[in-house]
Amino acid sequence: MSQAQAPSPAPVPRPAPIRAPAGLATPATPAIRAQASAGLAGRPTGTVEDVPQLLNRWQAIAVTTCVVFGVLAALFQLLAWQATGRAADNTEQLVRVQQIQSSLFRADALATNAFLVGGLEDAEQRAEYDAAIDQALRQIADAAEAQPADRAVLADLNTEVAAYATGITQARDNNRQGFPIGAQYLREAGSGLRADAVPILGALADANTERAEDEMDGQNTLPLLVVGIAAIAGLWWVNRQLAKRFRRRFNLGIAVAAVAIGLVTLVGAGVSAAKSGDNDRLREGSFTQAIDESTARTAANDAKAQESGRLIARGSGATTEPLWQERATVVQGAASGETLFLWTVYTDLHAAIVASDDEGDWTGAVELATTTEPGSASAALTEFDQASQQVVDQAASQTSESLRSGGVVAWALMIVSLLVGLGSAGAVARGVGQRRKEYA
Amino acid sequence: MSRRAGPVVVVAALAVLLAGCGGYDETVVADPEAAPASSVPPATTPPVCDNATQSYAPSGPLPAPDDLPPGSTMEKIRDRGRLIAGVSADTYLLASNSPFTGQIEGFDIDMVEQVADAIFGDPKAYELKVITAGDRLPALVESRVDIVVRNMTINCARWEEIAFSAEYYRSGQKILVREDLADDGVDSVTELGGVRVCAPTGTSSLDNVRREAPDAVVVEAPTHTGCLALFQEGEVDAITGDDTVLAGLAAQDPYAVVPEQETFTDEPYGIGVNAADVDLVRFVNSILERMRSDGSWRASYLQWLQPTLGQGAGQPQPIYGRTP
Repeated sequence: MSQAQAPSPAPVPRPAPIRAPAGLATPATPAIRAQASAGLAGRPTGTVEDVPQLLNRWQAIAVTTCVVFGVLAALFQLLAWQATGRAADNTEQLVRVQQIQSSLFRADALATNAFLVGGLEDAEQRAEYDAAIDQALRQIADAAEAQPADRAVLADLNTEVAAYATGITQARDNNRQGFPIGAQYLREAGSGLRADAVPILGALADANTERAEDEMDGQNTLPLLVVGIAAIAGLWWVNRQLAKRFRRRFNLGIAVAAVAIGLVTLVGAGVSAAKSGDNDRLREGSFTQAIDESTARTAANDAKAQESGRLIARGSGATTEPLWQERATVVQGAASGETLFLWTVYTDLHAAIVASDDEGDWTGAVELATTTEPGSASAALTEFDQASQQVVDQAASQTSESLRSGGVVAWALMIVSLLVGLGSAGAVARGVGQRRKEYA
Repeated sequence: MSRRAGPVVVVAALAVLLAGCGGYDETVVADPEAAPASSVPPATTPPVCDNATQSYAPSGPLPAPDDLPPGSTMEKIRDRGRLIAGVSADTYLLASNSPFTGQIEGFDIDMVEQVADAIFGDPKAYELKVITAGDRLPALVESRVDIVVRNMTINCARWEEIAFSAEYYRSGQKILVREDLADDGVDSVTELGGVRVCAPTGTSSLDNVRREAPDAVVVEAPTHTGCLALFQEGEVDAITGDDTVLAGLAAQDPYAVVPEQETFTDEPYGIGVNAADVDLVRFVNSILERMRSDGSWRASYLQWLQPTLGQGAGQPQPIYGRTP
């Protein structure tokens, strides 16, 4: 193995002669030389230095540095990959939570609207209500399975949804007998949903948003750079110690290891920074879109429930209209371009309902609010709801898939980092070993 | 294990440990901010008078719809095209939304129809605004409605803000209890000691039960139907209110009974009108006179209230003589 040499002075193939320490009369032996004073690379003589021991120590330091780099670099990349996976999981959980909320408000909008219609309620709307509640309950079960930290709160939510569904059933049963208390149970169920279930859903959404965003930030670019630089610095130090004693500027094994570690660090940090940038774009893009569209969908269905509430509070709509307006503002601010025009179609039809009610034509207003014919307010809201659901699904899938992509690269980098760490350890061991041979 | 392998093993173990992390703190729901304690308004002495049920005398025979006095409130209503009435939508038998027809119907709604018929010649020419008990006076004072027909008791305090027609129904406050409590002898307001009894917020029924049964555990709800929901959920054992209202509640629950008892208050119902619309009050009183004479009041009573309240005392005799 050739050795890189310093340009001057002239190469010295063997260490400088060692003077026997004072008190030793016998000729110099390897053992004695081991305890010799260091007169290696211009060191002042007279200082006792155990060079083989030092070589052993430097070799251990260099090998450990390389191994630690390999393990830590692989570990940081593993953690980053896992964080990205968890970000995807949390995004999916967040969307699940938003879907639960949307399903519940969809159910409430349908249940409330059904109360406006005299006579037997529409079987299709009833089936749609049942489907919305079933979906919410299934999603709660899925969410509890997916995230243990949410389990206790989801159990509470499950209780609230069960209470809501029971209230609606009581409302419906009384309504079918012609008893006004049915409307009271409807009101209580709706207000209970908003007072008890919504804060839980809000807490779940906040917690999962925070988790997803934290995990998206977990790319470890800086730690990776720090570990790489620290490893190179460690190797540089060992190289310096050797250079001082053996009059060679570079030890080839150490130099190769440092270059390999530097390259892996640069590639790893570059990939990590790129992934981090991707995650930032996702957070600003499809991730936010999924959340916003879900928010819009929930608010839209809540607005429809408020519209029905206005008509149930027959003639006193002026007091409930601000509640509709509040929800409408949320939809305007959160809906995507793909669904906003559908919302506008609904708001125009809602305006016609309000005008009819304000003019004293309550029956006409109810007719407009409850018919499900094409071109009606209910049909327009359903269209918005379905389009909105589609946007949420697409945005959520895109976020999740993007986060989960790059697994092969991440694993390849992890393996390469580990192998480079181990390979570098071998190289430095050999490089230092070369010096040991020279010394011997 | 060699000494050199030690650090490597430690690092590897650390790696495995760190890689296995990922648990989160449990999600918690923030406690809702405590609602500020509602301030109890200071007790005031209600105005006293001895002519609460005295109303303005009719100004003569009821004019035909197309012969309403020019410039009168009735003509303004006719010009608008509909009568606007504040009513309840959940007081079964008096005014409640029928799930079968989607329309509000009951004894009070018959009164509204009579007024609409007198102004327009069309008993359906009205718009109903559902209002709470607490909104009855503000709705009239702010002229959001022309009349309020919502089982409203005529009293001196209310006369200071609005005007009333002559009494159109004499009700009285009673109690409704669980069937088993009635069997145990809880059959009047004096037996309510320790019993959880519900009354709507802001009503005279609430004040009355607090006065008549100071040992009762009084629970408030927004409406009487809200009280019935609490009753069915086991949150209260009794409800107090006007006999007309309690009859409607009892009809919705087979375990709720209104025991045979004396009313412990008199609740003369009047149709509320804005205090400035004295002409409308006189007009409404003419309508009530016509209802007495043509039997329409009796017909309404038979249809809505007699099945649960029995024969009753009939349409109350009006007292006139109030001057604006």
